[in-house]
Amino acid sequence: MPTSLFDNRKSVIHRLNPVTKLVALLAIIVIVFAIPVWWVSAIVLVVVIVPAAVISGSGGRLLSLSLKILIPILLVLFIVQGLTFPGGETILWRWGVLKLTTEGLLFALGVGSRIIVLILASILLVLTTHPGQLMSALSEHGMSPKFAYIISSTLQLIPAFSDRANSILLAQQARGLSLKGSPFRRIKVMLPLLSPLVLGMFTDVEERSTAMEARAFGSPAKRTSLIPVPDTTLQRVLRWVFVALALGAIATPILMGIL
Amino acid sequence: MIKLSDVSYAYPDTDHYTLTNVDLDVPQGEVVGIVGASGAGKTTLAKIISGFIPHVDGGALSGRIEVDGINLPESTLAIAVSHVGLVIQSPFNQISGAKFTVREELAFGLENQGVEREEMATRVGEVAKLLGIETLLDRSPYALSGGQQQLVAIASMIIMRTPVLVMDEPTSQLDPGGTRMVFDVMSKLRDSGITLVVFEHKVELLREHASTVHVIADHQIVASGPARKVLSDPRLEKWAIGTTRYTRAAALAEEKSLLPKSTELPVSLEDSIDVFKGFKNLKKG
Ligand SMILES: Nc1ncnc2c1ncn2[C@@H]1O[C@H](COP(=O)(O)OP(=O)(O)OP(=O)(O)O)[C@@H](O)[C@H]1O
Ligand SMILES: [Mg+2]
Repeated sequence: MPTSLFDNRKSVIHRLNPVTKLVALLAIIVIVFAIPVWWVSAIVLVVVIVPAAVISGSGGRLLSLSLKILIPILLVLFIVQGLTFPGGETILWRWGVLKLTTEGLLFALGVGSRIIVLILASILLVLTTHPGQLMSALSEHGMSPKFAYIISSTLQLIPAFSDRANSILLAQQARGLSLKGSPFRRIKVMLPLLSPLVLGMFTDVEERSTAMEARAFGSPAKRTSLIPVPDTTLQRVLRWVFVALALGAIATPILMGIL
Repeated sequence: MIKLSDVSYAYPDTDHYTLTNVDLDVPQGEVVGIVGASGAGKTTLAKIISGFIPHVDGGALSGRIEVDGINLPESTLAIAVSHVGLVIQSPFNQISGAKFTVREELAFGLENQGVEREEMATRVGEVAKLLGIETLLDRSPYALSGGQQQLVAIASMIIMRTPVLVMDEPTSQLDPGGTRMVFDVMSKLRDSGITLVVFEHKVELLREHASTVHVIADHQIVASGPARKVLSDPRLEKWAIGTTRYTRAAALAEEKSLLPKSTELPVSLEDSIDVFKGFKNLKKG
């Protein structure tokens, strides 16, 4: 039963301050989106993400989770852009109005490489970051506890809600619902199950916020934390380096435009 | 400790009152039970006593509500929750979702209050021992059974040490052993001076642990009094709460003149041992 995405290990990556990882993630996203060439993403992937994944020991889970998300996105991207890219002239293959062009494939590569970096880096952060520590670290860095709570609880609750979706499905199957047949029929059968799930989620949110308030969540006191959040001078410096790199990445296209 | 006078309440966007003219008086250091059928208004009353109505749910609330010397509707929610704790009906929703282990989950409320780390650790240990969940401390709150989750939810409120604790069906997911333990914990808390209001269906256990019981039906409090008297009231059948087999057996025996009419009907096994002593005497005589 998946109860949390967090992959509880003791690697260096796991032990980093959550804010360091969050700043790194944001810097990486800014960099690959600010400089729109596919090899920047490739460098980030080879130099940062792959080593971090290997060191963390969570590489296997990272791969299996991200492939599930990436394969359909990339397939659609390459098929649609490769075949229908408007400016495509170098034709590699043609079938009626559809033509596979080099320009289309390069465009898909540019977009696809960034999506790969975005997804891999985000999932790696979630896999290696203790949700409770994330919340404490964020509020220690001045984020409002409410906002910090929303971020860290979302990460925890997604698996909890998917468990609940499974149990709703199971309950319906126990009552004779059949999931056999064409994909179309399966979608038709599953749609009505969404409403108990979604309605349940709304009442849950209301009740949960009641329960949170009862546990002094709105308290004006300065929060403390049961589990200490590790931080080092090196990490403080690193965070500023990431910020500088991100700013540099934003400035690069502008400077190149001027020169 | 808790005083409600002439309290009526209607949820927003409804044209009827869910509760009307409720009076309630709970002295300090008592366990008070409140019973009522599904939809009778138990959760609604629990939210009124703990300040969530009117501070979170809007709607039309009238009457006076005083808990631990605080006029709740005129106070703020932050103040209210420091005087009265609420264990909500669904353990799944009581759990914050922001914590990875039961240990941290229990400390969540104390973190919000800014309690020092060492004291938090001590209090987590104490409350875990009280509810027998020490072995769960390093597990994920979501990898627990419904009953274990309920114990964690109860513990997460007890640790707050509010002078008043309101529990909305706290044993709904527990096995008989767990249920008995939670009731024993309530009695322990009462002995330490805490005032408890428990919304429950388990008539026999309420008889043992609550001093006073109130019944909600038809949007009102329809019966109040000492636990044994209220819980053996034959009208409980009509109010869809039901009486115990001991009560029904004694009532039947009375009807057949096997017991004197004046007998106070039993609720628990203990009560009925006394009552049926009379039965034996009657047969002899
Ligand atoms: N947010 C709301 N808005 C409108 N009506 C509500 C709301 N919440 C509850 N009610 C109604 O108020 C009445 C009392 O509900 P309440 O939840 O207090 O009952 P309960 O005694 O706790 O029932 P249960 O034993 O099922 O938990 C019900 O008729 C219910 O439909
Ligand atoms: Mg209820």
